[in-house]
Amino acid sequence: MSTDDGPSLTFLGKLFLLFFVAVCAAGAWWLFTREDGAVSGGPGPDPDPGTGEQVDPGNQTVVRIAYGTEKKRWLIWAVEEFEKTRDGKNIEIELLGMGSIEGARATVAGDPQIHVWSPASAAYVDVFRNQWELEHGGDPILHMEDLALTPMVYVMWKDRYDAFVAHYGELNFDTVAEALAEPGGWGTIANKPEWGFFKFGHTDPNKSNSGLLSLVLMAHHFHDKTTSLEMADIVNPDFQTWLRSIEGNVSGLIHSTGTMMRDMVLKGPSTYDVIFVYENLAIDYLKNAEGRWGQLHVVYPKLNAWNANPYCIIDAPWSTDRERKAARTFLDFLMTEPIQAQSLTHGFRPGNAAVPVIGPESPLELYAKYGLRVDVPAVTEPPRGDAINNLLTGWQRIRSAN
Amino acid sequence: MNFSAFSLRSTGWLVLACGVAALFGTGCVEESSHSHTEVAREAPDALKVVFTYGSEKEKWIDVMTAEFNAAGHETTSGQPIVVEAIAMGSGECVDEILNDKREVHITSPASAVFISLGNAESQTKLGRDLVGPTQDLVLSPVVIAMWKPMAEALGWPDKALGWREVHEMALNEQGWASLNYPQWGRFRFGHTHPEYSNSGIISLIAETYAGAGKQRGLTLADVADPKTGQYLEEIEKAIVHYGRSTGFFGRKMFSTGPEYLSAAVLYENMVIESCDKEGLPFPVVAIYPKEGTFYSDHPIGIVDRDHVTADHRAAAEKYIAFLTAPDQQERSMEFGFRPADVTIELNERFTAQFGVDPQQPQTTLEVPDVAVTQAILELWHERKKKSNVVLVLDTSGSMKHESKMANAKGGARQLIEMLGDEDSFSFLPFNDNATLWVMRNEKVGQKRDEANRQIGSLFANGGTALYDAIIEGHRHIAETDATDRINAIVVLSDGADRDSKQKLEKVISVIAADAESASGGVRVFTIGYGSGALADVLGRIADASRGKYYEGTPENIEKIFKEISTFF
Repeated sequence: MSTDDGPSLTFLGKLFLLFFVAVCAAGAWWLFTREDGAVSGGPGPDPDPGTGEQVDPGNQTVVRIAYGTEKKRWLIWAVEEFEKTRDGKNIEIELLGMGSIEGARATVAGDPQIHVWSPASAAYVDVFRNQWELEHGGDPILHMEDLALTPMVYVMWKDRYDAFVAHYGELNFDTVAEALAEPGGWGTIANKPEWGFFKFGHTDPNKSNSGLLSLVLMAHHFHDKTTSLEMADIVNPDFQTWLRSIEGNVSGLIHSTGTMMRDMVLKGPSTYDVIFVYENLAIDYLKNAEGRWGQLHVVYPKLNAWNANPYCIIDAPWSTDRERKAARTFLDFLMTEPIQAQSLTHGFRPGNAAVPVIGPESPLELYAKYGLRVDVPAVTEPPRGDAINNLLTGWQRIRSAN
Repeated sequence: MNFSAFSLRSTGWLVLACGVAALFGTGCVEESSHSHTEVAREAPDALKVVFTYGSEKEKWIDVMTAEFNAAGHETTSGQPIVVEAIAMGSGECVDEILNDKREVHITSPASAVFISLGNAESQTKLGRDLVGPTQDLVLSPVVIAMWKPMAEALGWPDKALGWREVHEMALNEQGWASLNYPQWGRFRFGHTHPEYSNSGIISLIAETYAGAGKQRGLTLADVADPKTGQYLEEIEKAIVHYGRSTGFFGRKMFSTGPEYLSAAVLYENMVIESCDKEGLPFPVVAIYPKEGTFYSDHPIGIVDRDHVTADHRAAAEKYIAFLTAPDQQERSMEFGFRPADVTIELNERFTAQFGVDPQQPQTTLEVPDVAVTQAILELWHERKKKSNVVLVLDTSGSMKHESKMANAKGGARQLIEMLGDEDSFSFLPFNDNATLWVMRNEKVGQKRDEANRQIGSLFANGGTALYDAIIEGHRHIAETDATDRINAIVVLSDGADRDSKQKLEKVISVIAADAESASGGVRVFTIGYGSGALADVLGRIADASRGKYYEGTPENIEKIFKEISTFF
């Protein structure tokens, strides 16, 4: 630790100096904050330097939003832009990043007191409504609007993808199951023992929407159907056996899709060879991956699902009218064209139909060489609440037995 | 000068300039980069935020914290925020909070393993987590750092190396001679104590995975399998000693050379930093074990305890946001860390020129669950390299004063408490008589109470025959010939030698000659106790044996003994 051996003042000297400096600073401040020729209006809220409007920092409305982390980068930017607006001076947006399903549970529990729930998709909305009905009664959703859309994709390291398809022909849930069961790992698959065992990751379906959709789309793939899953599909013994062959060896199972994508890029192929996540995350992280490890490749499953990132304003016992209106104000801001256009930069397909998805600046066209595409193969119908509950129960039993 | 032409704003600048000029003129403007502790003293009403962290990242955190504190951050009510950052072992970070030894607001051990262990214990104890949600600060893979020619002798870089080669070399009684390098002696390996240091626990988990032939899904049955225990024990045979600090291992390895260690479990960033040091006999390279390794990902989180107020939380979030901002993340590469910010590309320090490979590790291991980790620690206690420890304790008349004897006894008892049941203990209290052995080669597990009684029976009297006592202790170990153990002498003395027949140079030559022997010799840990102790003499004795010297006081003596215990 350094010590200063320069000249020192007496205590009185320091006091005098401090007083002098304080007077200078106070005078300077007073002079700075007066407009030339203006007269101060006395105590009151600070004037907005941009508009001259009154801003009252003691009277801000806080809107707490539980959101899925797949849209973290876009939302954080949007909040920063909102803070520059007139409305943004009086409304404070508190973003709480959590898995989609975690967010639903926290909203029902009222801990913390959430005003808006924005999961990655509407897949869990039915279950959320049922849970809310049991806890609080009534329909929890005052208003719901889709913010931005993204389908599901496999994201794989390009060199490993090339080796994989050279051996298996195609990347799909069947070949993933085969690779996971391969005792020789990459040594057998591609004569690359240094790559270790084949590692496929998705998030925890109990906490995260993308994890849940992984199971849902596995079920659709197995039964080769696009219509809504039935209970008979879920409890089919062959399906459960096949599901076990994948879920007994899956990696990751964390609560956040955004974190999973980030980990893959941060820590490289040693963590995952391939993950099943949202298209927008792949787009968001493509360049970062090249800066650290190498090229990623994107593959769309034959049967897909839209994740529309609904923004659900909650009719909660703890919400005031002011908070609900503030939540609506922020939603309106998110749906404006400039903010929606920025969602495209983060890989989303804008919820505002006036903002085109295709065009020379569209990442879907710019990054076509990574496997990205504008058209999405067949889209499945969302599942019902009882099918989801049984799918999760079956999965839990597979994991417990492991 | 026409004042009427000046606007009010211009006048404001002039007035402010006068104030600043006054500060500069008196020389009262201090340097902008205060250490965080200095700022704390000058702002007694500041909100102090205590941050404990794994010392692996000390250099980066020191610089960043000084900058944060100098920037004058405040709470919403205008109270200055000061962060006090305290480096320690990762285990200590968790231990201090669990046992309420310090009011900590933010913590960052070197890896998530400690967060998991800490949260599990906290849930058991209090029904709440130790630390809230965490995020990574910086990354550094755990590697086996090896002298480049030795790695090449094993086939690197054409052949991927790992725990298999470490295991084979640990078992090989011919050592490097089997590869036509007899001048390198036996294979000497090091990793830190797994209960105190992140790299230590990581080493153990990785050895266990390698022994079980797995990369994930390690179970209690795998740990209990006798083959796994045998594999672990065979690797541990090559250990020269344990220790609390990965940094200490790295510094000793780089400063002492291949005769001290052939390889050690360190962090990638330390290999990069070794390239900045002059005088190394060979370059050091990072081996990323082919069986798999871990990232040290330095998770940071806010402590979940009642003393963390809303203001502390807000201040902590500001500090964390500062550390994770792009500028600070970019600068972590100066210290050899991989930024946790994925938007930052790795720079030229992450290349073969610096002994590392940015495309590694290719295989990482899954963090086992808490029960399995605890089982691995228990297995290590059974299978670790045992120690043969001689305590040489000054009981001269000067030890009467300032509670020195009472506190030294407390420290000695700390040593006894931390030795394992199968460790061997010998005790030589000395004054002007340096041959009064009270215990010789006793198994600690059978004689722990006896050792404590002997310690308790001491009183201060007589002169100081320090050199004779050390030589006597050394002679005893040589006669014991326990080459399969960590042989160590712990010496505590509070004053200069007055009564020895032998001279200091004799002590140094005996110890140094032994240190260069094939077995690696006896480590001497010296404690200079109180103001009368001669630091340079005791320091030379420790250095000659590649041990360590400590400055002891009655207040810190127990802590010193505890730290010395981590070497065994």
